[in-house]
Amino acid sequence: MTTIKIWKHFPREDLYECYQCARCTGSCPAMEVAPAFGPRGIILKCLNVGHEEVVEDEKVWLCCTCNVCEDRCPQKIPISDLLVALRNSAARRGNIPGRLSMAIELLAKTGRSMIVHQLDEMRAHHGLAPLPSAPVDEIRQILRKTGLDEVIEF
Amino acid sequence: MTEKSWKHSETNDLRIGVYVCHCGKNIGGTVRCEEVAEFARDLSGVILAKDSLYTCSEPGQEQIKSDIREHKLNRVVVASCTPRLHEPTFRAACEGAGLNPYLLEMANIREHCSWVHLHDKDAATEKAKDLVEMAVARVARLTPQVELTVPVARKAMVIGGGVAGIQAALDMADAGYKVYLVEREGSIGGRMAQIDKTFPTMDCSICILAPKMSEVGRHPNIELLTLSEVKEVGGHIGNFEVKVLKRARYVTKGCTACGDCVQACPQLAPDEFNAGLSIRHAIHIPFAQAVPSTFLIDMNQCLNNQGIVACDRCFQACSHKCINFSDRDEILDLDVGTIVVATGVDVYDPTPLTELGYGKFPNVITTLEFERLINAGGPSAGELIRPSDRKRPQKVAFLQCIGSRSKRSNPYCSNVCCMNTIKDALLIKEHWPETQIYVFYLDIRAFGKGFEDLFQRARREGVTFIRGIPGEIIEDIDSGDLTLLGENTLLGTPYRYNMDMVILSVGIMPHKDAEVLQRLLNLSTDTDGFYMEAHPKLRPVDTTTGGVFLAGAAEGPKDIKDSVTQASAAASRANILMSKGEVRIPAITSKIDPEKCTACGLCARVCPYHAIEGSKEQGYYRVIQAACQGCGACVPECRFEAIDQTHFSEGQIVSQIDRALERDPHTKIIAFACNWCSYAGADFAGVSRMQYPHNVRIIRTMCSARVSPGWIERAFIKGAGGVLVSGCHPADCHYNNANQNTVRRVEKFWKKMEKLGINKDRLQLAWVSAAEGAQFAAVIREMEQGLQKLNPKQIQHAAEQLTKSLQKKSEAS
Repeated sequence: MTTIKIWKHFPREDLYECYQCARCTGSCPAMEVAPAFGPRGIILKCLNVGHEEVVEDEKVWLCCTCNVCEDRCPQKIPISDLLVALRNSAARRGNIPGRLSMAIELLAKTGRSMIVHQLDEMRAHHGLAPLPSAPVDEIRQILRKTGLDEVIEF
Repeated sequence: MTEKSWKHSETNDLRIGVYVCHCGKNIGGTVRCEEVAEFARDLSGVILAKDSLYTCSEPGQEQIKSDIREHKLNRVVVASCTPRLHEPTFRAACEGAGLNPYLLEMANIREHCSWVHLHDKDAATEKAKDLVEMAVARVARLTPQVELTVPVARKAMVIGGGVAGIQAALDMADAGYKVYLVEREGSIGGRMAQIDKTFPTMDCSICILAPKMSEVGRHPNIELLTLSEVKEVGGHIGNFEVKVLKRARYVTKGCTACGDCVQACPQLAPDEFNAGLSIRHAIHIPFAQAVPSTFLIDMNQCLNNQGIVACDRCFQACSHKCINFSDRDEILDLDVGTIVVATGVDVYDPTPLTELGYGKFPNVITTLEFERLINAGGPSAGELIRPSDRKRPQKVAFLQCIGSRSKRSNPYCSNVCCMNTIKDALLIKEHWPETQIYVFYLDIRAFGKGFEDLFQRARREGVTFIRGIPGEIIEDIDSGDLTLLGENTLLGTPYRYNMDMVILSVGIMPHKDAEVLQRLLNLSTDTDGFYMEAHPKLRPVDTTTGGVFLAGAAEGPKDIKDSVTQASAAASRANILMSKGEVRIPAITSKIDPEKCTACGLCARVCPYHAIEGSKEQGYYRVIQAACQGCGACVPECRFEAIDQTHFSEGQIVSQIDRALERDPHTKIIAFACNWCSYAGADFAGVSRMQYPHNVRIIRTMCSARVSPGWIERAFIKGAGGVLVSGCHPADCHYNNANQNTVRRVEKFWKKMEKLGINKDRLQLAWVSAAEGAQFAAVIREMEQGLQKLNPKQIQHAAEQLTKSLQKKSEAS
């Protein structure tokens, strides 16, 4: 499995601006549901133990990129960018939650990220026409272009 | 200064001594100083060249002195640090040995060489040789000078009546000098008057300040000007001419502050002194202990605005008949010798940090508002109540670093907030011990005398310190209670605290008028907006403008003790000038040769100080030496070579350009840097060890306006790869915006280059302040990249084109 160099995509020097005030974690909606998660901890781990360990941790997938941490960061660190870069690296190392890879597989195969045949029954019940078929080939092309096929087989 | 007979300087035979300093490892670790000295020995006119470990040391200076005597040296070059640091030292050494101090030249091989090329010893050594060669060329053309002495008026002005201004005014007045204390508000006292207690001693703030305030009020040497602002400053060190706007008070000095008028006044407004937490009348006294103890009318609130008397209830109520509606603003003209700037600070307004809810949630307040709340003279008479329901809070949170240490507000540490919070927390504990207090912090900086003790005391008394600033505050609309969401970073666990009241420990920032005064007095500010000292370590209260000194937090965030210390220092510095009664003006003024002058008057038009007088009828112009500040802006303006600047003459600078470009000119950048900002900025890059390409050769002028287009032309003809002209930022020029001439001349030269088909990018104009070392390094790096794209053909073409146009011009004239 190849690894992408995350500091190519995110300026590492920005992390040194962090003085661990934890305003980010205090603002994080993911922290509300998963108290073990927080941008502050992720930045500190990147600095102190290295990002290699961080990308092995499933918790990087808890971020919902709502950007509130970034808005409130007193040092203007682009935290969402960091998490995107980390997750890219994590995915290439095989650290990707099963649900997420399933959804992508489904998207590549059916053009939709969820199973919709039950929906069709509901639509018929309400007198609506069945959903038009998704442009599967086009979607697959887009997914290939983004390099997703290198991470998930479809 | 009396005429001395300068023993050796009159001779025409050059006898130059060169001293290359190792500065320990600072220079010697990078530059091979022996090699540089060896190189200097072969330069024309050089009699001896030596390298020494510390040239500025006593033995180092003695060596220079004995060499001057023994070898009859008539010129001295010291290659060491920046002339901004040790020029006075070596000048004194020369003078001590009977050599005119103006026959010394320094080559800056530390800040501009060894420190910025730490990893390239060969290049640094070569550069040092170039710099020494340039200095030798220049020193050969220097002439002895006699400095002019100007009297210093024994009167001072202090701007700002806070504790720093008060201390400075008292110190100078006690020394026997007349002091004008200019204060914008209706009373002196400043921020300290608003604070309840001081840290770390927990003294009552107004109790220790009020005696000093009244001392100012009754001091025979102090003229107190309240409701006043400085509008214009002219003149120079020793003789400033200041225009002060004194706004109308509408109450005469007979006022006994009985307060009868207040009862009668129907108009109400928020009370500024109480941070808007209470109301005052249109006629009011700023606070009980105010000095002068005189009421004043806020005309913006009074019904009698714009000269229409619609209400005279206060007039009727005043038994002493002290109300004067016909009072008018007036302009006062003051002549002073020295000025102390003590404009202090504003507090940060946390409204933009919306997640904290300040201004939206009534129970979120700032520390300044808290100070007024807990003060016995405040709106709640010292009762701690929360604004929403006026009940005493049981659980109080302090949030640290609000508006400090952040790119979203002010990037610096405000210095006072940690201790202020600890003091505030202890005050609450003292009055209501059962109150639960939580301090949410980043770092507690308890660095001063007695600070750590106070911090430990707060912890022992049960104040809880939690590391981690809340990310969000949520208000319960019904109760007004607040919920703080955040993470305890030491435990690594999220928290959720319910609080009755939140106090934001807001930072401090330069007074909003700091910029205005900066322009009026030609001061520099650092990147944070605070006034810059002439030297951060050795001249911490001086400014780059002679005769102007800094006191208090205007120079940087400070607590009361530091402000007072600095104020006394500033007063003492001003006292030195005033007690001496005269000051020597550097001999760097311009001079006009009446033989060559055609009385065109162009020079007079660009002089920022109106120091050139004359007329067409008179047939010539002349420079008033005492008024000339030595910027040299006039020199490039003259088309007849009639005007030249002493000590920065055309011949001297051109010789530097020529020598700098003697070897491999196409690889080099000639940088003209003004003494006050850009040269200092390059020094700062050196002090900060910012590495940049080694092919730049810096030539110092006093102002960028001295840079003659002829020099730029000369550099390109000699084959220079690039030329940089750099000066102070447009509004920050130390010579009254003389640098607008720089812009005009460089733009004109760009047009010429365009016309002749020369790459315009080779001439750059950059504004670099004394604090922008990084900016200087970046400009050089960028120019170096442009240089690499140039080919020798282009350089040759440019040189030919410029030579041709120069010939044409000389033929035409």
